[in-house]
Amino acid sequence: MRKRRMVAPVAASLSAALLAAGCGGGGGGVTEATGTLEDPITVKWGEPQTELVPTNSNDTNGGTVLNAMFTGLVEYDPETYEPRNAMAKSIERSDDKKTYTVKLKEGWKFHNGEEVTADNFVRAWNYTAYAPNGQQQASFFDRIEGYDEVHPADPDGDGPQKPPEPTAEKMSGLEVVDDHTFTITLKEPFAIFPETIGYEAFSPLPETFFEDKEGFAEHPIGNGPYEFESRTPNESLTLTRYEDYQGADAGNVDAIKLVVYEKSQTAYQDLQSGNLDMIDEIPTSALAGGRWKEELGDQAISRERLGITTLALPLYDEKFQDPKLRKALSMAIDRESIVKEIFNGAATAAEGWAASSTPGYEPGACGEWCTHDPARAKELLEEAGGFDGTMTLSYNADGAHKQWMEAVAGNIRNVLDIEVDMNPVPTFGTYQDKMDNQEMPGPYRYGWVADYPNVETFLKPLYGTDASANYTGYSSEKFDSKLAEADQAATEDKANELYLQAEKQLGQDMPVIPLFTNMVKGGKSERLSEAVMTPRNTPALTALKVAEQTQ
Amino acid sequence: MTESTETRSVGERTTSPEAPAADERENRQSTKQVGLWGDAWRDLRRRPLFVISGVIILLLLAIAAFPGLFAPGDPQAQDLSLAREGPSAQAWFGYDVLGRDIYTRVIHGARASIVVGVLSTLVAVLIGSFVGLLAGYFGGKTDSFLARFAEIFLGLPFVLGAIVILSVFNAGIEGSPGTVRVMTQVILTIGVLAWPISMRIMRSAAIAAKQQDYVNAAKALGASHSRIIFKHVLPNCLAPVMVYATIALGQFIGLEATLSYLGLGLTSPVVSWGMMISDSQQYIISTPHMLLFPAGFLVITVLAFVMLGDAVRDALDPKQK
Repeated sequence: MRKRRMVAPVAASLSAALLAAGCGGGGGGVTEATGTLEDPITVKWGEPQTELVPTNSNDTNGGTVLNAMFTGLVEYDPETYEPRNAMAKSIERSDDKKTYTVKLKEGWKFHNGEEVTADNFVRAWNYTAYAPNGQQQASFFDRIEGYDEVHPADPDGDGPQKPPEPTAEKMSGLEVVDDHTFTITLKEPFAIFPETIGYEAFSPLPETFFEDKEGFAEHPIGNGPYEFESRTPNESLTLTRYEDYQGADAGNVDAIKLVVYEKSQTAYQDLQSGNLDMIDEIPTSALAGGRWKEELGDQAISRERLGITTLALPLYDEKFQDPKLRKALSMAIDRESIVKEIFNGAATAAEGWAASSTPGYEPGACGEWCTHDPARAKELLEEAGGFDGTMTLSYNADGAHKQWMEAVAGNIRNVLDIEVDMNPVPTFGTYQDKMDNQEMPGPYRYGWVADYPNVETFLKPLYGTDASANYTGYSSEKFDSKLAEADQAATEDKANELYLQAEKQLGQDMPVIPLFTNMVKGGKSERLSEAVMTPRNTPALTALKVAEQTQ
Repeated sequence: MTESTETRSVGERTTSPEAPAADERENRQSTKQVGLWGDAWRDLRRRPLFVISGVIILLLLAIAAFPGLFAPGDPQAQDLSLAREGPSAQAWFGYDVLGRDIYTRVIHGARASIVVGVLSTLVAVLIGSFVGLLAGYFGGKTDSFLARFAEIFLGLPFVLGAIVILSVFNAGIEGSPGTVRVMTQVILTIGVLAWPISMRIMRSAAIAAKQQDYVNAAKALGASHSRIIFKHVLPNCLAPVMVYATIALGQFIGLEATLSYLGLGLTSPVVSWGMMISDSQQYIISTPHMLLFPAGFLVITVLAFVMLGDAVRDALDPKQK
């Protein structure tokens, strides 16, 4: 058993310590209990779908915990979400633009005292990528050379055919140089690669994981700011601060208890009555009419999500071939009113194809086409030769999309005089199938959440020719070549600039209509002075700060 | 007017069978044309409950048939700047969350709701009563078989069953299926999944009725099964089923909303009260008028049918004569 510090947790963080000094330090004695193992800070949580191992956990509940328990080469700042080096001392690109040399910081240890070396990274990554291990996070490594050998593509997706046997056990692109150095070779140059590896999937794993995987899943051992204390399945999980953590984002609260809630309504009530310190979700009943903002006051947390909602157009349907028609639809939609009236301001109208809070992004690529201008919209529709028949708008009925989709339908109907009917698809599974098979009968809602905080994640996977999530069938040579140019760029800044230029091409073609970005919404109790939600809708545990009490 | 009918009907109920009722009976025997239904009709016309509910139902039917006469506007016209505004002179019932006029939508929503409600009740009650009547009257193996069969449907959760049925029948359709098609499917789905309840009610009523002396008498006289069932058992079993049907009607209008909510039932641009109610649920605190008006119309409709059912039951029940 570790010896636990009995110092007030507020003293742990520099800023809180300054605050304490300002108050004469009188509150220190009173707050002693808050945030310690006897009286931990409680955060709403849900039972993760898989075991708590970074190689296999891909839901947000698992992510919340693993993000605090593991530190990879790169991490994202919880406030700005900018990537920065964490365990990596440096990541340097060679002249062929494909090979990166990673130097690790020395002296980092896993929670069990084992030192973190290059081998821990390479072994963990190889384990995740190797197909027979069946790890859900495998595809994160598909840019690395040799991935196809260890994880051959399934010829028919999830179909009955079995994928071919892997021909190698380890990715040829990973090589350990010495204890604190290893190289990563990519299949293709990808200028922003170091920005993309901040997720839990890229965590190192200790020796104990490979010795006893089941034991590890029950008591995970990481190298992050928080270590595993105890867990009662379907009830709670407790984390305590790791004293020997070497990184910058070390956390402020000594003990955090994640409590499983089935219903966001219950958690919301518990937060209001002071039984819970942070929630990462607001129940729909409280969202209506913006009631939660009134009820929570300055304890409400919201920030822009790193994602975007669009109205995708079936470019495989000959009715939607003319960009003028697509622009007419875009200009008919009154984004500002929808955001104001239906989302009560808990969303922002889109001005481009990426979330405007994306680091390094400049919104505005959509320009005038994303403004509400009924007269211009009518003109454009006329120039495009009108629209024959009924336009069917689709959405998945298992999400809360009906209201705003009807508002969009109403806009199109009123402004352009087109008959519009709705096609709610009962489940997202069926909806996804319809997108995959290009069977959408008309415009449809599409939501995209960033995989990494860079504008590229909003562009290539969605609009690149034959890209993984390009369901509309859009293909533009100009766009593709700009992206390729960006991938080859000399610096990350240069790459960003080129990505933004590529986005301008979307403004010309309007393959999908950008609509809005939702807010992530949460709340905190009075016991916390600070609580941050990441733009991926998870609570940032390391950013929690206990409030100074002044009795 | 109302008062006079009131006194007359009350008078009729309290009079002893010897005086005017005896007259009537003689009358009936002499014309001989007046059967069970004729008798009931004559009785009904004198009941205020029936007259009131009848007028309401006729009015609702008129609204359903010609909504444009009552509300000339477009139910889809949307003005987001008016969203959630309360009732005023321009919009008697106020505006919904998308800035659509609620009065116009309630009037235009009557058709879908009434058609679905009435027809699905009819389907459910007809299937249920017929099966229940057979099961109750014949008893024994027929009864066990039919009752077990009904339990299969009874054991199926409504929403699950509806999802299976509706998604199977609409699989492989490009876009959204037509309104008439969806409406028929919704009506049949509700009917098929809800009939066992009226079957059980009918069955227990039939079991009680077939033990009555008059049934035995009819049997002894050599009456055929069909004659006994339809002339003697059925009229004595109608009352409880009728009550159930009137309650079920309101429930089925709500079920239609559930299906629409799941994306399986009617979809925009069709308007129905159920859809309006389910849409307004989350705004109940901030914008209550969105819920109150469609719900009010639903309540009035259900009430009218319940009153009608009550009146018809009383008129049909020979024991109350």
